[in-house]
Amino acid sequence: MVIRTDPENNETRALFDMANFSGQHVLEIGCGDGRVTWLYADKAAYVTAIDPSDKLIALARQDLPNRLQDHVEFQNNTFEDFAAASKSSAFDIVILSWSLC
Amino acid sequence: MVHALEEIHRLVKPTGILIDIHPVAEPSPIEIHQGEKIEPVGDLSIRQWCSDYQHADEALTEIKQRGLFMVEREGMFNSLTYYDSVAEMRADWKAAIDKFARDAQPIDESVSHAEAMAARAEELMQTAASGTELIVRERVHVSRLKPI
Repeated sequence: MVIRTDPENNETRALFDMANFSGQHVLEIGCGDGRVTWLYADKAAYVTAIDPSDKLIALARQDLPNRLQDHVEFQNNTFEDFAAASKSSAFDIVILSWSLC
Repeated sequence: MVHALEEIHRLVKPTGILIDIHPVAEPSPIEIHQGEKIEPVGDLSIRQWCSDYQHADEALTEIKQRGLFMVEREGMFNSLTYYDSVAEMRADWKAAIDKFARDAQPIDESVSHAEAMAARAEELMQTAASGTELIVRERVHVSRLKPI
């Protein structure tokens, strides 16, 4: 079973039209299985990607390529708990990845 | 949602940005593609999804009005999901709809609507040639917001 989402790369183009990820510390909220994370992670300096679903985070970690191991961190956490434990002004870019609901 | 945006305002650097990506609150067309031929199946309209996306729009409007963020840039794009079979599409929808059950929201109406759409697609797929794909088309809003 192979479900393909956005093979036309419309989302990639839209994302890169919004931001330059080079050298940026990114927080992605609602990363799911990392589908959006993979679009920009190569460019960013460091990515913290969170999702409350343990199943989806497990999939994201499983798919994390070796070259990204040092600068992409997937956390199984709610945004509420993550924010409570986080310092202010910590991120250059915050992405709400299909998750503002 | 508004509280989450307040927290994001605290977490992002004053020189940083927030990028929001979420589908628009409208039904998503389902199509069968066979070469150049496109046959419409119907519109997937899950009430809870539309309601959530509507709330997302309202939350963004509120934080802009309160002066926490300003929109620097925004746009729309189409996100297409391709399925080789109705079974794939059913399984994908089931996972998404089940999320509402976990969130303690009623799902009966969504399940029956999704099943009606899947049954219609199944009927149309039976007469289609091999290599046919099922596609769900979502319209997605993306915006870049700057903290104020």
